[in-house]
Amino acid sequence: MQYLADVKAATAAGPAIEIDRVSHVYAGAEGGVPALEDISMSVGSGRFIVIVGPSGCGKTSLLMMMAGLREHSEGRINVHGAPIPKPDPDRVGVIFQEASLFPWLTTFDNIEFPLSLRGVSRDERRRRSRPMLSLVGLDGFGDRYPHELSGGMKQRVSIARGLVQDPPVLLMDEPFAALDEQTRMTMGHELLRIWSTTRKTVVFITHSLTEAVYLADEVYVMSSRPGRIIDHIQIDLPRPRTYEMMATDTFGRLRDRIWQQIRASH
Amino acid sequence: MQRPQPKTVRRGLLIALLVLWEAVPLTGLLPELFLPPLSKTLGVLWADLDKYYAALLVTLYEVVLATAIACGFGIVAGATIGGIAALRVLLLPVFSSLYAIPIVILYPIFTAWFGIGSQSKIMFAGIYGFFPVMLSTAAGIRTIDPQFLLAARSMGATTTQQITRVIIPASLPTVFSGLRLGGALAIIGVVVAEMLTASAGIGYLVTLNRTILDSPRVFAGILCILVLSIAYDILSRLLERRVVVWQSVGRRQQTATVPRPATQAVAAPSAA
Repeated sequence: MQYLADVKAATAAGPAIEIDRVSHVYAGAEGGVPALEDISMSVGSGRFIVIVGPSGCGKTSLLMMMAGLREHSEGRINVHGAPIPKPDPDRVGVIFQEASLFPWLTTFDNIEFPLSLRGVSRDERRRRSRPMLSLVGLDGFGDRYPHELSGGMKQRVSIARGLVQDPPVLLMDEPFAALDEQTRMTMGHELLRIWSTTRKTVVFITHSLTEAVYLADEVYVMSSRPGRIIDHIQIDLPRPRTYEMMATDTFGRLRDRIWQQIRASH
Repeated sequence: MQRPQPKTVRRGLLIALLVLWEAVPLTGLLPELFLPPLSKTLGVLWADLDKYYAALLVTLYEVVLATAIACGFGIVAGATIGGIAALRVLLLPVFSSLYAIPIVILYPIFTAWFGIGSQSKIMFAGIYGFFPVMLSTAAGIRTIDPQFLLAARSMGATTTQQITRVIIPASLPTVFSGLRLGGALAIIGVVVAEMLTASAGIGYLVTLNRTILDSPRVFAGILCILVLSIAYDILSRLLERRVVVWQSVGRRQQTATVPRPATQAVAAPSAA
């Protein structure tokens, strides 16, 4: 509990995520391959951050580093005031590109998986997973297996699993990339609804410029390998965001600016 | 006209086969030496029931132990080789090649080492069934989606938890199909071994009666093995369905329907 209090204190005091001059070089056969170069960013608590960039620019690597799932060669990453040398589900929830739900578990059991890893009792697990299931709009699907769910529903379950331990930070690696356009739009909208009720700090990676502008408070644009941050754009569209906004000039200008940056970096 | 269910057709075929078995020798199309009628086969089986029963027990005993050896060693070896990359690169090609060897050629060596009693059958059939179990266990572990492990790690799973909570359940379907095949091969191994050199068991009875041209007793033995194999298949299917619920459900759905319509999904009962 003291730990959680510390996390809360840190939240109040400083940014949720601080990345300070992080570089990474992959060991290769012919010397190192530079993957990330001098990345710095400061993510305010409760902000919705989107990172865009060309394929292979290292944005997923960067996210994995924030999750404590991958090491970096240089620099410092702090999440709520402390480095993250290994995954810490109390601080960070991760949602992956493919839903990565376990096909041998029901929806309930998938959502409760992180709790069961720490030996939380079955009743307590159910007590905590039920509201998550409601939050993502899947009441009544708790006993289904993943193959009985559509792609969008699987990602909803995945989000519920990321939220069940109530971490202050949610990292999302192209979570909607595998979905069709319509489902993708709906899920983006749903995510904003969930975000506005939970007030998590979200770092979201995408290829879609429309999705980036629609979701974000701030967009970071990365260059192709080695990944550097080449632009940092504030998206000052009002919230709640609506589909109509996509047709506005402001929206178009913002999307165009990101596109120009990515194109210029090639 | 409605197309009959595959199940109905299968039953019909089976009945037709049994009827032919009875009818063909009676009409004289085939001499009884080649194919004794079903009734006569069942007749000698009934008359010699205790003999066949005792032989079946011997065979069953050998099959059970051979399967245990095949599955036990197969899973351990497969998990080790599948889980450790260095071993896999080194040994998997060797084992794959060994699988192609007709191991029955080694059976004389087994009788030399273990005698002509049950031991040589158990060892031979155990090794015969070992390969598919080992190879499919290795494949099951090797083909686990790395995304599963990454997700588990992100949720704070320890190495032990990654093994027990992810690797084992994820590889279960592949391992199980290997176990089924391994068990089936163990039955074949035992029967073949009994037919070659033995002093007991169904295979021995079949060979014995064949040399004295007692066709009904040969067929009675064949019938026993058929029953044994079918029973094994049904049993392992049932077990698989229990253990790998999510897989069998998936397969049933795939064959039954295309993705369920959204309306139906929405109309699902809400959680109590």
